[in-house]
Amino acid sequence: MAMTMNGEAVLPAPRDTVWAKLNDPEVLKACIPGCQSLEMTSETEFVAVAKVKVGPVSATFKGRVQLLDLDPPNGYRIQGEGEGGVAGFAKGGAKVSLEEVPEGTKLTYDVEATIGGKLAQLGGRLINGVAKKMADEFFGNFAKAVNPEIAVV
Amino acid sequence: MTTTGIGAPVRRKEDFRFITGQGRYTDDIERPGQAHAYFLRSPHAHANIRSIDVSAARAMPGVVGVLTGEDLAKDGVGGLICGWMIHSKDGSPMKAGAHPALAVGKVRYVGDHVAVVIAETLAAAKDAAEAIVVDYETLAPVVDMNAAVKPGAPVIHDVASDNVVYDWHLGDKAATEAAFAKAKHVAKIDLVNNRLVPNPMETRAAIGEYDAGTEGYTLYTTSQNPHVARLVLSAFIGIAPEHKLRVIAPDVGGGFGSKIFIYAEETVCVWAAKKVGRPVKWTSDRTEAFLSDAHGRDHITHAELALDERGKMLAMRVKTKANLGAYLSTFSSCVPTYLYAPLLSGQYDIPAIYCEVEGIYTNTAPVDAYRGAGRPEATFVVERIVEVAARELGQDPAAFRRKNFVRKFPHQTPVIMAYDTGDYAASLDKALELIDYKNIGKRKRESARAGKLRGIGFSAYIEACGIAPSAAVGSLGAGVGLWESAEVRVNPVGTVEVLTGSHSHGQGHETTFAQLVCERLGIPIDQVAIVHGDTDKVQFGMGTYGSRSGAVGMSALSKALDKVIAKAKKVAAYALEASDADIEFKDGRFSVAGTDKSLAFGEVALQAYIAHKFSGQDLEPGLKEGAFYDPTNFTFPSGVHICELEIDPDTGVTKIDRWVAVDDFGIVINPMIVEGQVHGGIAQGVGQALLEGAHYDETGQLVTASYMDYCMPRADDLPSFTVGATVTPCPSNPLGIKGCGEAGAIAAPPAVINALTDALGHEDVTMPATPQVVWRAARKAALRAAAE
Amino acid sequence: MTTVTMTVNGKSVTANVDPRTLLSQFVRENLRLTGTHVGCDTSQCGACVVHVDGRAVKSCTTLAVSCDGSSVTTIEGLAVDGALHPMQEAFREHHGLQCGFCTPGMIMSAVDIVNRKGNALDEHTIREELEGNICRCTGYHNIVKAVEAGARAMAPGATSIAAE
Ligand code: FES
Ligand code: FES
Repeated sequence: MAMTMNGEAVLPAPRDTVWAKLNDPEVLKACIPGCQSLEMTSETEFVAVAKVKVGPVSATFKGRVQLLDLDPPNGYRIQGEGEGGVAGFAKGGAKVSLEEVPEGTKLTYDVEATIGGKLAQLGGRLINGVAKKMADEFFGNFAKAVNPEIAVV
Repeated sequence: MTTTGIGAPVRRKEDFRFITGQGRYTDDIERPGQAHAYFLRSPHAHANIRSIDVSAARAMPGVVGVLTGEDLAKDGVGGLICGWMIHSKDGSPMKAGAHPALAVGKVRYVGDHVAVVIAETLAAAKDAAEAIVVDYETLAPVVDMNAAVKPGAPVIHDVASDNVVYDWHLGDKAATEAAFAKAKHVAKIDLVNNRLVPNPMETRAAIGEYDAGTEGYTLYTTSQNPHVARLVLSAFIGIAPEHKLRVIAPDVGGGFGSKIFIYAEETVCVWAAKKVGRPVKWTSDRTEAFLSDAHGRDHITHAELALDERGKMLAMRVKTKANLGAYLSTFSSCVPTYLYAPLLSGQYDIPAIYCEVEGIYTNTAPVDAYRGAGRPEATFVVERIVEVAARELGQDPAAFRRKNFVRKFPHQTPVIMAYDTGDYAASLDKALELIDYKNIGKRKRESARAGKLRGIGFSAYIEACGIAPSAAVGSLGAGVGLWESAEVRVNPVGTVEVLTGSHSHGQGHETTFAQLVCERLGIPIDQVAIVHGDTDKVQFGMGTYGSRSGAVGMSALSKALDKVIAKAKKVAAYALEASDADIEFKDGRFSVAGTDKSLAFGEVALQAYIAHKFSGQDLEPGLKEGAFYDPTNFTFPSGVHICELEIDPDTGVTKIDRWVAVDDFGIVINPMIVEGQVHGGIAQGVGQALLEGAHYDETGQLVTASYMDYCMPRADDLPSFTVGATVTPCPSNPLGIKGCGEAGAIAAPPAVINALTDALGHEDVTMPATPQVVWRAARKAALRAAAE
Repeated sequence: MTTVTMTVNGKSVTANVDPRTLLSQFVRENLRLTGTHVGCDTSQCGACVVHVDGRAVKSCTTLAVSCDGSSVTTIEGLAVDGALHPMQEAFREHHGLQCGFCTPGMIMSAVDIVNRKGNALDEHTIREELEGNICRCTGYHNIVKAVEAGARAMAPGATSIAAE
């Protein structure tokens, strides 16, 4: 089952700071909702464990994530694949680009993902809402991470 | 007619336990020491399995065992089978890919079985399943039949590189082409018969058990045919020889075909019971049922009907693609072939018919028989194209049908079937009267005034039931004969136990079979018990499906009762000191003709067992007889259903206003039960037409996997039904029974769609015709009408 | 583990249960009252309906601990002193069941409908009120008739169904 999502967030920090934070595993770990662990396995690869709840299905996803098409400080593609055991799987990628704007940095994201298993069977109709909520949460956290002074955008 | 004999609306004997909560379904059974199984299923529609690591799962608390396809293979447990061989046009056998009960190397649909975890509790089994690490290499899936047969499509089974299971045909192609060449008019139609999920309210369940002392296995399972399950598990899958395997199908909460088949789960439970040394229980949850029960229907069809200048049918040709899913389920191969094409003549005299069917693999759940099995699909083709033809010719649909009805019996169709009897016009006349067809114009105008669209739709169906003569089905590829057995045990006090190979999962056999016994032996109905569903009690039987229990199962019982009466007469002759020839049996008493000497049935039974009167004579003690009945023909129930409905063009909501069903089931044992079967069948057919559809997205995820997304008919989706009957007794069995279990599901879909398209100015709609579909069609129809 | 105490079919029961235990599990597994069925996992079929303090609830989505101190009636407790409840009688008399799997939930829901809506129920009301119960066998025709008759028979002073 395929899903797409896109959006943007304006972050109150210079682009270089945003870029650095986007590549900082500790920051990502702190910002990804439900993230329990995140370990770099190479410069551009990490494994992560995150707990996710979609409607009646809750699952712990273990996945490999890769950063591709690195273009500092303009953006990258982040791609991953996670197995949630009996809950199913999720895989997909997001294109993230950064642009300087007067208020700081505008981050644009474009997600394409597919999900399967129980997640799709029971959570299918909820997945878009959940994904949107998780994205909002991530960027809320991330905004704080890039500029602890300023709360939310 | 006595108050409990044939034809009486006897209240059901089985109901007491159900209305008081004392039914005993498989999941209600708890075996000492039982452990719980949970199946890890594939979340991918198509993937290679690189490895399965179960070590962490094995170490989890409460885990009794974790088993995979490799373990099955090591134990020499065979794969699941398809029991009906179909040959393609070129004579080659169908391409059946291997179907291991737990996947080996590859998964082929979402829900495919990857591993089983057995633990002290279900929760522990589920937790441990989380710890199994499966390394999948995902492959491109294909869920659409047209895409599956395109060159370069993903290959699901290596044995079928083009994903075609068979390319089969039936009928005389040359004669059909010749008739089309002469036709004055040709009606054409393209149809999709939507994929359905059977959804009996009780999900499937199984408990496997192994007794090391006797080396015997027991399987409790939700089955419509426990003996067939035992046969397949023994002879083909190789779990245990038949005398070491007892299969019990206790109360079963509906089947509708989906519980005929032998699935992976029960196979694994019974095998695993020995491996882990504990009874192993599995109960499907509803989402698992959606994923793993065999689905139904799923055809794409193009059909053409050739007519002469007066509208007489000359020939029909039909081309169908049938989705068989990722594996061939137990009887899947015969459903879109021999249970489908032979019904394409409908109630009509059509001189030539030619049908081609391609069975196709896709990355979806296996598809097999669902209520009606092939016959609803055939009836949908026939009754839709007949309706279209009538409209194109500007003829009244009822009159058009009547003109083309078969009138002389027996009637040999060009597609195998020899109809034995029927009076199709009688059913049509009665149905027209019951629905008040005369005034339909007036009712349509009234609806129009209220801003609604009213339509009326006909369905004159025929079905082939009472499956079936063993030699006939054997010649068509069946791996078994389709006879039935019955044994009548008369106890010394005259009470009777009937052991039947039929199985009741809602049909009320405990009542109807007892009614036949009352009728024939003249004993009260509470002195009769019907025993079924246990291979240790009933020697053998073929089970219940295809509306066969009355026509075949009760015919076997009738034969056994004949033998009981014959023997009891001999006993009575000794007891009454008369000659056999002078003994008469009537109303439960044996009497000597022309005298007042008589004995009640129970007294004769006692004499049979004490055997004082004929000791040393050429008569054995006891009173117990068995019979096997092999039918000589199919039976051909038929009838006319008419649906009248109203559409709100602003919302697309369809409301069925009237439903008339006039069926000819031959002789009816219990009209109350028969009507109930008709009601239930109609509801499932209306469900197919308006509400239900199983849908896989392009990645092979089943997106209708719960009652949130798969719309089941509820009470307020349906009207009350008017059910009438006509009777032409079936000549091929001793009771004149034809069978009634599937009629409603067969008749209903075209009746609904014909009514909808009538209301919509002939604008076509697909099933399920949800409000959205109907609303769109209504808009299109309105725009077209405005343009004209 | 949490201790719950409730009255089930007139008998007081106390048990130690995992706080996640559903009422349906509790009656089926702990009390072995298997007349209450489970037909779905999304709270949509009504096979599991029981009465808690006189009101119909779906036991598959009710926690056992939330019924602490309550009085629960399951299908097994509907017949009093061996005499069938009029609604049970009506289902048998009007052939309102086939496989029997939905039946306990149907009957419990039907009694609740009468408690809420009275003894004179028309077809439309019954069909709407049965919205939460799925039956795959009967097409509802005879269930509707049974509920209508059962409702009448539940009226004070009504004669029994079988005598009609
Ligand atoms: S089991 Fe409770 S609503 Fe289905
Ligand atoms: S009687 Fe079978 S589900 Fe209702």
